[in-house]
Amino acid sequence: MTDSSALALKGIRVLDFTWIHAGPSATRILSDQGAQVIKVESNQALSVVGGPASNTARGLGQRHNWNAGKRSISLNMKTDAGKEVARRLVAVSDVVAENFSGRVMPGWGMDFENIVKIRPDIIMLSMSGFGRTGPWKDRVSYGQTLQAMSGFTDLTGFPDTRPSGPASAYSDAVGGMTGAQAVMLALIQRARTGKGQWIDVSQMEAMSTLLGPLALELSANKADVQRTGNRLAHGGGAPHGVYRCQGDDRWLAVTVFTDAEFSALTKAIGSPSWASEERFATAESRQSNAEDLDKLLESWTLEQNAEEAMHLLQAASVAAGVVQTGKDMAENDPQLRERGIFQQVPDAAGELRTIEIAPYKLSKTPGEVTKDAPEFGVDQDFVLGEILGVDDEELAEMAIAGAFD
Amino acid sequence: MLQPGSAGNQPLTSIRVLDLSGDLGVYCGKLLADVGADVIKVEPPGGDTMRGTGPFLEGLQSTENSLHWRHYNTNKRSITLDITSDSGIVLLQGLASTADVLLETFQPGHLSTLELGYEHLSEANSGLVYASLTPFGQTGPYRDYKGSDLVGFAMGGYMYVTGWPETPPNKLWGLQAYQTTSNRAFIGILIALYHRLATGEGQHVDVSMQEAVATTTEHVNTAYNYTGENAVRCGFRHGGQFVATWPCKDGYVSITTNTAKAWDDLRAWMDQDGMAGDLMDEQYNDRFILRGEHGAHIEDLVEAWTLTHTRQEITDWGQANHHPWGPVTTAGELLENEQLWERGFYQEVAATSEGKKLVYPGAPYKFSESGWQLASEAPSVGEHNSQVYCDELRLSADELQALIRAGVV
Repeated sequence: MTDSSALALKGIRVLDFTWIHAGPSATRILSDQGAQVIKVESNQALSVVGGPASNTARGLGQRHNWNAGKRSISLNMKTDAGKEVARRLVAVSDVVAENFSGRVMPGWGMDFENIVKIRPDIIMLSMSGFGRTGPWKDRVSYGQTLQAMSGFTDLTGFPDTRPSGPASAYSDAVGGMTGAQAVMLALIQRARTGKGQWIDVSQMEAMSTLLGPLALELSANKADVQRTGNRLAHGGGAPHGVYRCQGDDRWLAVTVFTDAEFSALTKAIGSPSWASEERFATAESRQSNAEDLDKLLESWTLEQNAEEAMHLLQAASVAAGVVQTGKDMAENDPQLRERGIFQQVPDAAGELRTIEIAPYKLSKTPGEVTKDAPEFGVDQDFVLGEILGVDDEELAEMAIAGAFD
Repeated sequence: MLQPGSAGNQPLTSIRVLDLSGDLGVYCGKLLADVGADVIKVEPPGGDTMRGTGPFLEGLQSTENSLHWRHYNTNKRSITLDITSDSGIVLLQGLASTADVLLETFQPGHLSTLELGYEHLSEANSGLVYASLTPFGQTGPYRDYKGSDLVGFAMGGYMYVTGWPETPPNKLWGLQAYQTTSNRAFIGILIALYHRLATGEGQHVDVSMQEAVATTTEHVNTAYNYTGENAVRCGFRHGGQFVATWPCKDGYVSITTNTAKAWDDLRAWMDQDGMAGDLMDEQYNDRFILRGEHGAHIEDLVEAWTLTHTRQEITDWGQANHHPWGPVTTAGELLENEQLWERGFYQEVAATSEGKKLVYPGAPYKFSESGWQLASEAPSVGEHNSQVYCDELRLSADELQALIRAGVV
C-alpha cells in the first residue's frame, strides 16, 4: 500500500520514553499504523531489553520485535539542554508515552500538568505497575511481581504441584495491549472533542480485569477458588486437556463439550470399546469420570503423531490443536505461514530480522513495517534537523551543554 | 453514529455496535460498551447459551444468574433475533445499516450464506467496521478448524512453555486465549474507527485467536527466531531464572533479582540470619548465577531461608530497597487489595437478593477525562426488544408481536 490514506495513524507523532516490554510493545502497535514513534533513549541507561542495547540474542530479538519501525534519539534528561529538547519535541507531538517509576517524569518537569502547558491537546500515556495514585504508587514491580499479586501465579498450575504462574510476562503483554487501546480511545476522543488527556494505566488493574467473573464469584458466593490445571473452573468439558503423543515432549490439546463432539471424537479414533460405556454417556458423567477418560484418550494419542492426530480430529470437527513450540510456529505451521504472522526486515547491516505482525488484518488500513528497530540514537539528525529545524550552530550549543551525552 | 466533532461523554459514546459474538468476542463487546459504545447484544430467541455458564449467583442456575454472563455483558443492551430466518435477516440488515461496528465469531463464511457478510452489509453502510473473530482467521488451510480457549493457547505457542519441566504443558488460569483475542480485536476496531473518523470509510477486521496468542507470548518466537532454540517449560523461573517464586511461612513470595544490588541484598539478608551457607563467596557474585550449574544448590539455600519468613516481611524488605518483590496472592485474598479499593478499581453493586453486594472488576485504564463506567449491569433476555424494534426501527407494537409469535424475536 502506498496510498497515504491506507495508514490510519499517519500524521500522529509519539514521543516515546518507554522501555523494557509493556511500553515499547504498546507504541509498536501505533507505529505499525503509520504513527511516527520517536524513542527517546539515553547513554545513561544502556543494556536493558528494549532499551538502547541488548546483551543477549533473545534480548536483541525482543528489541527488534517491539521497536521495529521506530526512530531513536539520545537525550540526556539529567541536563537542562536535554530537557529543553524534550519540551520542544512535546510541542510538536500528539502523544507522550512513558513507563518509568512515578518519580521520574515529574523530576524532569515532564508530568502531565507541565507538558499540557506546552501542548494543550497532548495525550499522555503513563504506564506503571500499580498506578500513579494510592498507597502502592511508589512500589516497584516486574512482570512476575504483578502476576503474583494479581492472583495469576497462584491460580496457574496443577492442583497437586506448586503454582507455576504464566511462563512469560503476560502482564507486560497485557500492559502493552491496554496502553495501545487507551491511546486509541484518547485519539478518538480528541478527534471528537479537541481535548487531550492523561491516561494512568496500572498493570495490576489491567491484569485484574482479566480474571473475568472471579471477583463476582468471590463476592457473591464466598467461593474457595483453586488451581484447575487444564480444566475449566466452570463450563466443564471432558475430555479437556493435553495428551502426550509420539516423540519427545509432543502433546495434543483436545476439548470436547457436547455429546455430538464426543461421538465425533470416538468415531474418528476408531470407536474403541470404552467409547460406548455408560459412564461416558453424558457431558455430566464424562466430567465425573474425566481422569479415566483422559487416560483412555491418551492411550490412543501416545501412538499418534501430534500433527496427524490434529488433522484427523479436525476433519471430524473436533477442536484439537498441537501444543506448538517456537520452532513449530516458525517452520512447520502452514496456517501461520499463509497468514504471514512473521515478517523479515533488514537491519542497518543488511541482516534480516524476524518480527511479529499484528494479529488483526484490516482490509483498508493494513498498516506496514518498513524497517527494523533503530540503532541507538541513529535519528539524531532527522529529529533535530527536520522535525525541530535546529541549525548547526544551535546543535553545537546543545551538544556542548550535554543534551546528548 | 460516529462523526468528527460529535462530542461524547465517553470516548465511544453514540457509537453503535451489533454484538453477534460468542466466547471469542463477548469480552471485546464489553470493552466497547464499558467506554460508552451502545452495544446491542443479539441473542437467539430464548437467550444466549452463555447464560448457562457458571458460576451462578448463590449457586442457583437461571438465565439471569450466570455471573459469567453478567461479567462479560456489562453496559450492553439485549435484543432477541433469529438471524437464520428470512425476516430475521431483513431486520438484522436494517440494524446493520444504522451501526458503526458489527462483531461476530461464526465459522468463516457462515454469515455470507445468510447475506449478512461484510460484502453484503457494507453495500448499504460503507462506514461499517465489521470485525470477525475466529480460531484461525478468515483465510488459510486451517480456516475451518475448530477452536477453544485451550486449543488457541496450544496452537499459539504459549502453552508449551507454561508449567514445570516434569508436568504436561499448562494453560493460564481463566479464558486468556479468548480474552487475548478480544483484546487484540479491540485494538483493530479502534484503529478502524479512527480511520473512519478521518475518511468515513469502514472495513473488515479479521482476527485469529492463534495469532492473537502467538503475538502475546513475549519470548517464544524471539527465542527460536534469534537463538534457534525452543523456549521450554521452567515453572516459576521465567526463562532468565533471576525471577522466581519461593515457598515461605504463609504461602509463596515472588523474588526478582533483576539487579546486582537485589541479589546482594538477598544474600546479605540470608547471611544476617546465618542462612547464606557459602553464598557470600565471590563465585556467586553474578546475579544470573541461578542459571548455572550451582542453580539447585542456591535454590535449596534460598528456599530454606524464605521458609523462615512471611510474604509480608520479604516483600517489605525488598520494596524498601526498590526491589520488585511481592506476595503470591491467593484467590481468597484478592478482594482485600487496598490499592485496588483505594483507586476505585472494584465496583460494588447491590445484587438482587438479600441486599448482597456483587463486586465487579473495574477499568483497565484510568482517563483524566471520563472514560470507563459501569453504567448498567448485563441485560435480561430481550430486555430492549421494544426499545430497539419499536422506538428505533419504527416497527409497530403489532408487528413486534407478530415477530414474537413467529419465533423470530
